[in-house]
Amino acid sequence: MVGISRVDTSFLARWWRNVDRVTLSCVCILIGFGYVLMLAASPAVATRIGASRDMFILKQVVFLSLAGLIVVATSLLSPRGIRRLALGGFVLAMAATALTLVHGIEIKGARRWIALPMMSVQPSEFLKPCFAVVTAWLLTERRSRRLLPGMPIALGLFAVILLLLKSQPDIGMLSVITTVFMAQLFIDGLNIFFVGAGAGCMIAAFLGAYVAFPHVRSRVERFLHPNVGDHYQIDTALRAFGNGGLMGRGPGEGRVKDLLPDAHADFVFAVAGEEFGMLVCLFIIGVFCLIVVRALLKLLREDDQFIVVATVGLITGFGLQAFVNMGSTLHLIPTKGMTLPFVSYGGSSAISVALTIGMVLALTRHRVGESRIPHGRPAFRVRKATA
Amino acid sequence: MDVRVTGDDLRTRTARERTQFRLLVMSGGFCALFGAVALKLAAATVIMPMAPEQRQIAPQVPPIPRSDPKGMLAGDFALPQVHRASVTDRNGQVLAISLPVAQVYANPQEMIDAQDTARKLRSVLPSLNEAELIRRLSTQKQFVYLARDISPMQEVAINNLGIPGIYFEPGERRHYPLGRVAAHILGAVDIDDHGVAGIERSMEKRLDSDRTPLRLSLDVRIQAVVRDELAAAKDLFQAIGACAIVMDVNTGEIIAMVSLPDYDANDFGRADPDTRFNRAVTGMYEPGSTFKLQTAAMALQLGVAHPWDRFSSIPIHIGRFTIADMKSDHFAPWLTLNEVMAYSSNPAAAHMALDVGAQRQQAWLRDMGFFAPVPIELPEAGRPIVPHVWGISTVMTVGFGHGVAEPPLAIVRGTAATVNGGILLHPTLMARDGAQPDDTAQLTPAAAEGAAPTLTPAVLTTPAAAETADAAAMPGAKRVISPETSALLRRILRLDVTKGTGKTAESPGYFVGGKTGTAEKIGPHGGYLKHVNIAAFTSIFPMNAPRYAVYVMLDSPKATPQTHGWTTAAWNAAPTVSKIVTRVAPMLGLFPNTTNPQAVDDAMAIPLEPAVPRGYRPLGPGNDPGDPRNQPKAPAREAAHTAAAQSPRARLHAARAEQTAQQRPVHQEIRG
Repeated sequence: MVGISRVDTSFLARWWRNVDRVTLSCVCILIGFGYVLMLAASPAVATRIGASRDMFILKQVVFLSLAGLIVVATSLLSPRGIRRLALGGFVLAMAATALTLVHGIEIKGARRWIALPMMSVQPSEFLKPCFAVVTAWLLTERRSRRLLPGMPIALGLFAVILLLLKSQPDIGMLSVITTVFMAQLFIDGLNIFFVGAGAGCMIAAFLGAYVAFPHVRSRVERFLHPNVGDHYQIDTALRAFGNGGLMGRGPGEGRVKDLLPDAHADFVFAVAGEEFGMLVCLFIIGVFCLIVVRALLKLLREDDQFIVVATVGLITGFGLQAFVNMGSTLHLIPTKGMTLPFVSYGGSSAISVALTIGMVLALTRHRVGESRIPHGRPAFRVRKATA
Repeated sequence: MDVRVTGDDLRTRTARERTQFRLLVMSGGFCALFGAVALKLAAATVIMPMAPEQRQIAPQVPPIPRSDPKGMLAGDFALPQVHRASVTDRNGQVLAISLPVAQVYANPQEMIDAQDTARKLRSVLPSLNEAELIRRLSTQKQFVYLARDISPMQEVAINNLGIPGIYFEPGERRHYPLGRVAAHILGAVDIDDHGVAGIERSMEKRLDSDRTPLRLSLDVRIQAVVRDELAAAKDLFQAIGACAIVMDVNTGEIIAMVSLPDYDANDFGRADPDTRFNRAVTGMYEPGSTFKLQTAAMALQLGVAHPWDRFSSIPIHIGRFTIADMKSDHFAPWLTLNEVMAYSSNPAAAHMALDVGAQRQQAWLRDMGFFAPVPIELPEAGRPIVPHVWGISTVMTVGFGHGVAEPPLAIVRGTAATVNGGILLHPTLMARDGAQPDDTAQLTPAAAEGAAPTLTPAVLTTPAAAETADAAAMPGAKRVISPETSALLRRILRLDVTKGTGKTAESPGYFVGGKTGTAEKIGPHGGYLKHVNIAAFTSIFPMNAPRYAVYVMLDSPKATPQTHGWTTAAWNAAPTVSKIVTRVAPMLGLFPNTTNPQAVDDAMAIPLEPAVPRGYRPLGPGNDPGDPRNQPKAPAREAAHTAAAQSPRARLHAARAEQTAQQRPVHQEIRG
């Protein structure tokens, strides 16, 4: 397709032929937007917090380069490699998340971060993709290895994560991981009755969080009653969109963005809205939608249940994160601090998202001759042995 | 190859189909979620965008000022870079205006050569201290002020020096080009241009929101003349303070309001507090005999008294006090109401008040607005000092204007209501809407000459009834007196000038009418000071068709050889009114009637001792229901009723009074 001959059987050439190049291009587009919007959004924020004007930009150049490398490197792995990586990552991330409760930095009332020499890391960001893969493995492996109690172990791990995240507290991450877990059970073929029950539990848990956590209640209250309370952030974000209009003010011409708290991170989408307008924002939404839906549709032809469940988990987490970010910036849902994948500033987030997409790319690669079900006759299974 | 479908195969196949179906459901779900985001995005950007606030998208460099030649030609001084509206008088003369200035500041971090900069700056602003400039320019800060309030020309000159690191902050400063004229009314602004007194404070929102000039009802020409005459009188009689008011009795517009001593409005901050004291609305003075007008109006309107009724002028002893007239007054023992007003007898006025009674007197005064601050657009308007206990002695002393303290403007307001057909107005400093700049503003000789012959008879003979329609239509107007009583009061007030104490207020051809008032001042130890007076004269002209109220008050005037030792109003305040009327009336478009003054005067004359019509038994000797000697111990508020119970003749009188009271249509609200 792009200049590499099919005769070339080197490792990289095979990777290039087999990898999902559309998704890879989408990731490149998003990283490009990430650079452009960081140039627009971060100087004002940096000046406000007293840092050097270009601090965020320079750091983000490093983060996004690292993210690109991780995407490619991870996508080179085989499904088996992915499983090992996820297992290792899961163990590390669990330990680190547990460590936050003891040695975490407290930011705005929550202990989610661990300080490292160069940067601070949010381990739960890495927990999300790793747990999705581990869950997929546990759920599918129980079919081939009858002795492994996959379901109870998965539920047990989930309970532990629930407890850790509730103690931080990080209700946003908790709800994303829960939704991902539910989606995986759903795809794995859980009885529709249990799916309904799970959804009911989530609603009940949400109501519980509303009652138990004052900051959750305040955000929901402010969302439901637009005339009460402080809406400075969301109002400023909406004014930024309003100022942008259809075509936007043009690069660097945004004004409202300078007053937007967290313009470089959680509200980066509003900066895109002000400077580039509705059309470009629609394009960004389209790119996210394409990545998610394309991955899901590709799974229709996939017969390896582990790959299906793992990819669904990874891509659901990715898509949900994008939706929550854009939705809360547009006041479609209550404000929840979540980054826009590849676009927002943030090291942990960029690397975790890169890991997620890298795994998706690795799992959805064409694996010639590996399919157990021939294409075109999906309903039948040829058993040579019994013939 | 043998192809069979086993049970295991079937299960796998069903599971696979279920997974595929669920994957499609999830794809649909994600499409819906992102579709919702896209819709909300369209709503937020295009369909119903939330407009950014002005300050959020304001350009970071100030707009370049543009000249406004049209606005300047139209006398509109709204300068483009100035936010606060100017204030003008009724003819458009600017009284307060904001002028653009600039503050100079520097960023010392950007300074190349502090000494050179300081030297250059001094060439434009010589008042700066060079050493101090160098010190400031050499600090490690990023922001230092260098000079404040420099003119636009100086700003251009400094800009032309081309010094990097020097910046300007645009601003504006309030100026009062006429200095002392109307200083008390205009008030002042603080350093941040917020009004702190006067119109500047009460009209703060209007001045900041609408840049069209605020037009006041004042006429600076009248204001200047009144100030001139008042200052002359104050100097001549060595008064410690003085105040004068000219008000349109039909609209409530204040044409002039002067309080002396005054101050330069540009120097508000450094002015002596005594000079900043607005005697016209903040000063509380016992009104003295000017209040007898209210007593007479009340008694006539309530039907308690008639012009022919007689009241005893014999001194009244109550407690340790004696209510008496000055020893030099040799009054007949019984005076008609007209004589009481013309000669100003205290005991007789006290008897009149007693006949009305405490309750009705209080109700009347409350209705006339004497118990509340005068409604005027000045935050300084004070609350009158009114006794809490309204005993019999209060009834009597208030009857001749002692025991209460009122601001002069309240007296003027009350006086206007007695003559304008009976309408109590809200005095105002705002030019009434629709009222064009005064029709006499065109001072071309042709217009004045042309107007004079036609105006003279026309204006000065119009019956007042024609004017009352105007007065009743004013916002806040309230009928308090019937037109008939008002007509009668006009005659009585004119009588005071033709035959009574106010003779010195006469201005030939202008038919001035009014009431003198001399109140003894209360000394530092509470007692009245015998020879320290508040002398006031409240007047109206022309009396046959009232147009303007003129009030003059002198605080503690001294006697001069010309006054033969007198310090009463007839010798100082009344002549000042005459001088003011003679000078301001032509400016107000009123010219003296020189053709038939006697005929006009005769038409509104009323005898000092009117004949008693048939069927009435006049009050007088032997018929004095309010005499305190008749009911020495009765509580004040019962006074009138008790009296009625005691004497059959008095009962007859009271019944008649009540009957009249029921018939009259007073106190009806005309417009809220």
